[in-house]
Amino acid sequence: MKIRVLQHDPATHLPQRPGDPTPVSRNLNPLMHPFARVRERTRALNAAKMDRMFSKPFIASLEGHVDAVEVMAKQPGSLTTVASGSWDGGLIVHHLARRSQLLHVPHAHKGKVSGVCFSREGRLFSCGVDRNVKLWDLESSDTQPVTVFSGKSAFNSIDHHNSDPLFATASNLVQIWDETKSLPVSNLTFPTSTETITSVRFNFAETSVLASVGSDRTFTLYDIRTGKAERRVVMQMSSNALSWSPTFPTTVLLASEDHNLYTFDIRHLATPSQIYKGHVAAVMACDWAPTGLEFVSGGWDRTVRIWKEGQGHSPEVYHTKRMQRVSSALFTADARFVLSGSDDGNVRVWKAKASERLGVIGGRERAAIEYRESLKMRWKIDPEVGRVVRSRHLPQPVYQASKLKRTMLEAQRVKEDRRRKHTRVGLEKPKAERKKLVITEQT
Amino acid sequence: MDSLIAKADALQPHPKRRKTSHSHDNTQDSLKKHTSVPKSLRDKNPQPNVLPYKHIANKKLRTELTRNAAHSARAKALLDDAEMLLTEDAGVMQPEGELERTWRVSQSEIEVDAGQDAARGRREWKLDGGPYRSRYTRNGRHLALAGNSGHVATFDWLTGTLHAELQLQETCRDVTFLHDDSHFAVAQKKYVFIYDRDGVELHCLKAHIEPTRLEFLPYHWLLASIGNAGYLKYQDTSTGQLLVEHRTKFGSCSAMAQNLHNAVIHLGHQNGCVTLWTPNLPHPAVQLLAHLGPVSSVAVDPSTGGRYMATAGRDGVVKVWDCRNWKGAVREWSARGGTAELEWSARGALAVASGGTANVYTAPTIQQPMLNSAQPPLYLTHPIPHRPLVSVRFAPFRDILTIGHGAGLSSILVPGVGEPNFDSTEADPFENPKARREKEVKALLDKIQPDMITLDPEFVGSLAPPSKLSTKTTFDGKPAGEVTFARLPRLERLRVQGRADETDVGDPDDTSPHERKRTQEEKERKKMRGKGKSVKRFLRKQRKNVIDPTAVAIRAKLERQREERRALAKVTTDGPRKPSALDRFASK
Repeated sequence: MKIRVLQHDPATHLPQRPGDPTPVSRNLNPLMHPFARVRERTRALNAAKMDRMFSKPFIASLEGHVDAVEVMAKQPGSLTTVASGSWDGGLIVHHLARRSQLLHVPHAHKGKVSGVCFSREGRLFSCGVDRNVKLWDLESSDTQPVTVFSGKSAFNSIDHHNSDPLFATASNLVQIWDETKSLPVSNLTFPTSTETITSVRFNFAETSVLASVGSDRTFTLYDIRTGKAERRVVMQMSSNALSWSPTFPTTVLLASEDHNLYTFDIRHLATPSQIYKGHVAAVMACDWAPTGLEFVSGGWDRTVRIWKEGQGHSPEVYHTKRMQRVSSALFTADARFVLSGSDDGNVRVWKAKASERLGVIGGRERAAIEYRESLKMRWKIDPEVGRVVRSRHLPQPVYQASKLKRTMLEAQRVKEDRRRKHTRVGLEKPKAERKKLVITEQT
Repeated sequence: MDSLIAKADALQPHPKRRKTSHSHDNTQDSLKKHTSVPKSLRDKNPQPNVLPYKHIANKKLRTELTRNAAHSARAKALLDDAEMLLTEDAGVMQPEGELERTWRVSQSEIEVDAGQDAARGRREWKLDGGPYRSRYTRNGRHLALAGNSGHVATFDWLTGTLHAELQLQETCRDVTFLHDDSHFAVAQKKYVFIYDRDGVELHCLKAHIEPTRLEFLPYHWLLASIGNAGYLKYQDTSTGQLLVEHRTKFGSCSAMAQNLHNAVIHLGHQNGCVTLWTPNLPHPAVQLLAHLGPVSSVAVDPSTGGRYMATAGRDGVVKVWDCRNWKGAVREWSARGGTAELEWSARGALAVASGGTANVYTAPTIQQPMLNSAQPPLYLTHPIPHRPLVSVRFAPFRDILTIGHGAGLSSILVPGVGEPNFDSTEADPFENPKARREKEVKALLDKIQPDMITLDPEFVGSLAPPSKLSTKTTFDGKPAGEVTFARLPRLERLRVQGRADETDVGDPDDTSPHERKRTQEEKERKKMRGKGKSVKRFLRKQRKNVIDPTAVAIRAKLERQREERRALAKVTTDGPRKPSALDRFASK
């Protein structure tokens, strides 16, 4: 008779010497792990709840402006330096980490400061409705501008060239200036355009290309080498801001007056590549994260929203009781923080990921965070987990407005449907939502 | 501008980049047709060729589904590799000669053959104070015993350290550990009491009156008790709340078992019924008449995921049931000596303690259906002179069976019944106090809500069955034509557009064209209306068995006409038939 009785050798299961880690043995047989799926769901639910519990995105409010903060700009190559200009003509350069002011000019411009930008070398440019562009030196404590460039009409926006000492301003036309010359080098305008240009931005990769949006509901592309406008798209509603993607050079993001954001691939201007719906009022500002995977937008509805590239719905929503209409929004260069400048005259600093813990995170904690993230992803279809993951508390007016908007859109859709059913229009294919935006494309 | 576009074209996002590096090795290609790679050289875990989502038009969705499928396939393949982690071998007892029988082997022989260390599992505890019931912790390290007359003790049986010893001076009917060895509950004369490791009374659960049996559901942190009054009560030991109490309506009950894999409580009653309970249902999920007489013991097989249940009755019969199909027992036999106590081991051995012996049967034979009530081949038997035998418990991760009887406890060696490889994340016999504390916290975080207990634990995360309410004919009480496209539900809209995914998930072989199910529309069309009216029914009844010559004549005429029509139709469809040589015999 062959007999062997099971016995565990304690030497293999106990630490060899005191202080050694206890050996771990695994048996992956599913029968050894009852309720594996149910337990994983419980963990996913806990992860989702913990995520909401720890979501405290607000970090700080940077004060100093007397009136609404109109524009903000970050210094290239710096994680902490951010300039902001306000409606009372004040200009402040903030140090984010110290929460202090590197430069404070109470009356940099007469009337509002409409544009701020940094050059590669760290010089600060600001433009205002007083028809001046001023160049400031950050090193000196002097509150006088180094140079003043005066133009013919009020400026709405300014942006600096990525490598050359050139900058572009937007008024009723786009002007290119040399830093060393007092008059504009060239004027760029679309031949038939007469209306105001609200924002202008240089492309990061192809540095001579710049784009602008204007109050004539257009998005225009210029090239400073040819010295003229290349293409123009007329849309249903005007856009308030634009931002080039930092990682994909042909992608541009528009913040539109019709509550939506649009990304365009400039190779196919006939349709936007994605529509981002969520705001319940005009979107006033937008900015890409340096990773190109996320972007932030601020709107007239007093909320800041953080979107994932390619996901046109359910963004992260930030709001506070005291934050008024958001007129400028910025992602910091490390993609961890988001800045918003609003009508109440404050620049607010938020975390880009609401429940992220600041400070050093160890390897095991990082692993646990990643595990929780993947659990949430995997179980988001579960009704209970999904509800926790998706739901965001919104201020009453925003919530009501979104409800009303949904009702109105639904009614419109039903009406359109009925109209199609009883008219000859119904014989054609209904127009896709993405194709409704662009009216004409002109070259 | 053009240079920008050219630059961007070169910079495709990663997944869009077309694969151009197809290595073409001419030699390999020419060889491939005529040879095959030897098995030893083949890739053990070939990347599964996953293309089941070709039909999905949405690119993002398709990519994600394909990635998920590939990931799960890879995980499944890796799970096979994980067998390497199983380092320990199970015990065995195999006859080597033809005349040898395993059941003839006595404990003394096994003790001699087992090593020094394993032989320590063979013990006799001679104790006064009535028949003893015992219980192991989930990791098999600690043992609790409760004598009928109030002697309760817990100890680490491996090292022989006594944790607590109590003389309660009143009847104790059952004992169970809670989540680990730090707490245990005793079913005493009137109430259930909870003690900590040192034997300090922590709680008196006054809701549980005259309890007879206790079970602890470790993943739900529920203590279930059944008593003489026939109330099944669930107490949440993490929050302390009495979760629910079910009135079984079967009176006193003294047979209780839990299914480890779905946390369903099995009760055996005085009238021979066995009922299955969950906290969510006020009535049994399953009720079956198992025995002609009181049920004395119930046990559920953990080795097959709770598929088999064994019951023993006062009528002296042991039955094995298939929990998927309750139509009759899979196997039944009569246990010698009447009332039996049952317990399944982790590897599927069934211990039956009845009369004066403890018998062990092994896995495949007890589950094979048998027409006559012959006893399955015996694996091991051990006589115990101290009646009654009131409890049998297998020690987890050991080849040990502990039998509680009138004179104490005796534990015997049963080679091959214990699971050799434990998982430290679930139950570890060698865990230190720190690991135990950490496991307690983790288990509390992972506590499963009691409303997740169902007969099928895998329902979580599976797809909901499609709704039976069809929107095809009506939606919002209106016919489909009235509903605007925008108001249709999404699936219906997709169907209208012709973009719905109508691929059948089930096996395509099981439907033949003959027994094709009639569609909703067809059924509606073919439905016989006005047949069921009472007058019609009365008249039909009157016509029954009455032969009316005119009706017969008309029926024959109609039949003839139908025949002609069919022939005509056949001619028109097939065309004029070619003249055949056999036509001359046809009746004109």
